[in-house]
Amino acid sequence: MLRSLYRGLLRLHPPAFRERFGGEMLAIFDQAAERQPRFKLLEDGIVSLVRQWALRPEFWYDISPAPTAETASDGMPSFYTLDPFRPRTAAVVHGVLLTVVVFCLTCFAIRYSWIHVLHVHIPEVQFESSSSFEEHAVAPASSQEPEIASRPARDKQNLFSSSSPFSPAGQKPAPGALPIPEMRQNGEGISRPVPPGRAANVTTTAAVPNAAQNGAIAPAAELNPQQQAWGGSAEPEQTYAANQAAAGATSGATRNATIDAAERHRVIDGAIANLTKYYVDPGMAQKMAAALGAHEKSGDYDAVTDGLVFADLLTRQMQDVSHDKYVVMIYGAAIAPENPRPPTAEDISAYRKEMERTNCRFEIVRVLPRNVGYLKFNSFPDADICGTRAAAAMARLNNVNAIIFDLRDNPGGYANMVALLATHLFDRPTHLNAFYNRGENTTEQSWTLPPVPGNKLADKPVFILTSHATFSAAEAFSYDLKMLQRATLVGETTSGRGHMAMGRRIDDHFMIRVPDIKVTNPISKTNWEGTGVEPDVRVKAADALVTAEKLAENKLRQR
Amino acid sequence: MNDGVTSALPLSPASLHILLSLAADDLHGYGIMQEVARQSEGKYKLGPGTLYDNLQKLIRRRWVQELGQRPGDDDPRRRYYRLTSLGRGVLTAETARLAGVVREARARLQMTRPQIAKPRRA
Repeated sequence: MLRSLYRGLLRLHPPAFRERFGGEMLAIFDQAAERQPRFKLLEDGIVSLVRQWALRPEFWYDISPAPTAETASDGMPSFYTLDPFRPRTAAVVHGVLLTVVVFCLTCFAIRYSWIHVLHVHIPEVQFESSSSFEEHAVAPASSQEPEIASRPARDKQNLFSSSSPFSPAGQKPAPGALPIPEMRQNGEGISRPVPPGRAANVTTTAAVPNAAQNGAIAPAAELNPQQQAWGGSAEPEQTYAANQAAAGATSGATRNATIDAAERHRVIDGAIANLTKYYVDPGMAQKMAAALGAHEKSGDYDAVTDGLVFADLLTRQMQDVSHDKYVVMIYGAAIAPENPRPPTAEDISAYRKEMERTNCRFEIVRVLPRNVGYLKFNSFPDADICGTRAAAAMARLNNVNAIIFDLRDNPGGYANMVALLATHLFDRPTHLNAFYNRGENTTEQSWTLPPVPGNKLADKPVFILTSHATFSAAEAFSYDLKMLQRATLVGETTSGRGHMAMGRRIDDHFMIRVPDIKVTNPISKTNWEGTGVEPDVRVKAADALVTAEKLAENKLRQR
Repeated sequence: MNDGVTSALPLSPASLHILLSLAADDLHGYGIMQEVARQSEGKYKLGPGTLYDNLQKLIRRRWVQELGQRPGDDDPRRRYYRLTSLGRGVLTAETARLAGVVREARARLQMTRPQIAKPRRA
């Protein structure tokens, strides 16, 4: 019995030790059995077993003598540069495995720990890191038709930022309610991603090859409906480049075309007329118009013969007065007479495909610890196309105790999506905001829809994460819910785009972008244009989620 | 003296006794255990686990050489071990070191006289 036990102990020893000394130890056990208490030998065997495995890893598989120092053939001793001990392959493999396991556990602990010391963004579903669907949407028709209608066709354009605001929220926009997406270059691929609004200028270059062939170059994107996205406009630093893109795209005779006094006068007249008629602030429009007139009268433009330089000069002068960086004069080799055109069936189809490909920009739908819902989405896509997915996302979070909307990378989109998502947060139709159209002198209100059956989120705490890259419709969502005291905003001040602008043709080479729609909140009677939406809790955007989680936790504890 | 040998000193009691037991003759494991017990007059007993743990280290250091089985032995499982010249050098060095320690200890002990604490007055 004891012998079997001892034998078993020996078998458990490391292989090299067992093979070399096992037999001898058993022989000693057999021989000494008569004289020494067997239990002592058993005890010795157990100690030996622990010692060999725990303290003698270098002898686990080999106990042969260490190699002797070699002497080189010339009599000079060779030098050992490494310790004679070399780790076994198995030890290295175990080390790697252990490292991987510890690393995974650490990541897991960081991600799901109760208290977030570090915030490591490990999304469940990660789509391409594009900031808006406008950046990737494809409009084959655009590349085929670079000419742009001269007459502002906002009434035919039901994109979020133009016509959607004109329809009561929740109402489905007309079939053409799509932003005309970015152009393709010769129908091949998609031009480089660009920020909404301003980059639309640059995309004009993509249309150039076709346009040049057609002999008609137009800053198509200027009149592209996405220009009318909430607050979407060229930023000052982009203007000149945009103009260069528009003009530089042209070839031959039209490149660097000179302009004469008659055209300068025509452009200034056109600018004054458009500003006076459409600019959201009539008083400021008058000031800008007066400034342009004064400059012209004093002969400031007489020496300017380059179209690009002229457009840039006018832009700067208008902005110097208004401090509105969305008032922009644009120069193009040829502004097509029909501009903008309503979206085609191909546009709608392409947009739908893009939304399907990117899950309507809903990036993360997740329930965080403490049953806090987390929804990160990088656009407010058309509710007509993405309404089902939006509803599915909200349904998935229907049972959470609090909800966090992450709009830090959201460049905006459609008003109907703002209303649709906000609908889940109220138990009755709620007035969100109003859109005043200066040109038409009309005002349309935006309301949430009737309550969603079975919705449980109407009384749950809401947190919205913002950053300086939160734009237009995303700002509207934040601002409206803040004014209604329905959400706590956490993060940074948003970009401040509360107006909508429309490109308007002046002549064959010039067009002016004029913000002509103003969003007004029914509670504050104003909006966030220029100032941005101020967060309730100001933290860096990167820290917003962690902060919001803590706030949610505190709030839930209080409840 | 070889630096490698010097750096290995002092030896652990087990190693010292094993080397010492092999100094006179080649022995198998059980023989070493008996010899160690004899040398220490039964005060130091090596268990097989400790013995072979030390033997594997001594073999790795080339202080002890395994001879294998010896024909005609009672138990064919027994293997014999021999002290190598390197091991003998180590043992010699350790013995010299210990002799020095003993000499020094004796000298110190002879110089030291027992001190009797004087009573203090309060």
